[in-house]
Amino acid sequence: MAVHAAQGHGIDVERALEACASGDKNALRRIYDQECPRMIGVAQRMLKRRALAEEAVQDTFILIWRNATRYDRQRGAGLTWIYAILRNRSLSILRDERRLETDESPVAAEVPSEEEDPEAVMSRLSDGEALRGCLETLPAPRRSMVLLAFATGLSHGEIAGRVGMPLGTVKSWIRRSLLALRECLR
Amino acid sequence: MTMEPDRDGEALAGEYVLGLLDGADRQAFERRMDEDDACRAAVEHWRQRLAPIDATAPAIAPSAGLWPRIEAGLGAAPAPRQAAVQALSPIGRLQRWWGDLVLWRSAAFAGLAASTLLGLGLLAALDRAGRQPVMVAVLMTEGNVAAAVVNTFADGRVELLPLQDIAVPDGRALEIWTLWDRAVGPRSVGLIDRARSVPLRLDSMPLGADQLFEITLEPRSGSPTGRPTGPIIAKGLTARSL
Repeated sequence: MAVHAAQGHGIDVERALEACASGDKNALRRIYDQECPRMIGVAQRMLKRRALAEEAVQDTFILIWRNATRYDRQRGAGLTWIYAILRNRSLSILRDERRLETDESPVAAEVPSEEEDPEAVMSRLSDGEALRGCLETLPAPRRSMVLLAFATGLSHGEIAGRVGMPLGTVKSWIRRSLLALRECLR
Repeated sequence: MTMEPDRDGEALAGEYVLGLLDGADRQAFERRMDEDDACRAAVEHWRQRLAPIDATAPAIAPSAGLWPRIEAGLGAAPAPRQAAVQALSPIGRLQRWWGDLVLWRSAAFAGLAASTLLGLGLLAALDRAGRQPVMVAVLMTEGNVAAAVVNTFADGRVELLPLQDIAVPDGRALEIWTLWDRAVGPRSVGLIDRARSVPLRLDSMPLGADQLFEITLEPRSGSPTGRPTGPIIAKGLTARSL
């Protein structure tokens, strides 16, 4: 079920955010009920560990609540705003808070999620999605870099290590892929 | 400051949304977003374009404790709607805030409740300093509520005075940072377990006007990396006091 709720029949997220801004906790709960499982999935693709993913989602809901007054529907969809907060929060846990301690936490309940394969992500994009069509026009290695960066939060350097290519090449390939996607999605 | 984003600007916005800008580049870009409508629009556009990828993530049921933990962290209601203004540059926010201060003062005389407490809190905080600070930074939350002031004095003393309670989850602390040069990056100047007045240790660090101070939420023993890692609670720039 790879339907972004923005295009589906979920709750009116924009209205729910506006209700949060006036202090309605039930509205936050409605967003939670609808989006939380997907949000944990997004965070866990980046953070691997379930506990960290839940921490990112927890921080995100608190940030949504505290910043709801800043949400402006003229500027964009509510879900985009929410996922931007989630992604920022996950990235900063991934990049800046990468736990220095290595072994003190029992990892039994925190088995890393399966490595995300870019082509598996690709196959889960809905057929009708313009993004999928445009990604298909890119050579597979370039498309993988974009998907790896967005879905798993890998940095330029980590992607270079993964695909065994020089950093400069990876940077310029991603840049060119972005410009090609932008043209294609115009 | 607004301009049509060029190809480079578009690609940079795309890299930002992919999460590929790090450290100083990311901060510089976020500052630009604050000031540049076209840049912000380019980012929004990239978020929409790439959103279908997030929709491919597996749905994972939350553990039973997640919602209660969120609810415990919500604290008071969000900032009142009238305090919400469109994203402004930090300086713009500060100017806006000074505008609001005048309102708060009149509100205080009118005896109105909520904003009065905040306004009185600030005046008391400034007064408690005993004498005129050389420079003041008002640290605002993202919801544009004044959370704390940093006062700097002629003898080099610097202090932080909270203006309202800040919810600090168990095991976390508030760390105070200053940034005078992006090349150097933010430096920690204090760590407190809860919102309370504290002298800040600037030692030999430079101190000038338009210097950023911010409070972030960190592990109890402070940021493990020596740089801010947690969410920003409030931030503001120093300005010479009148």
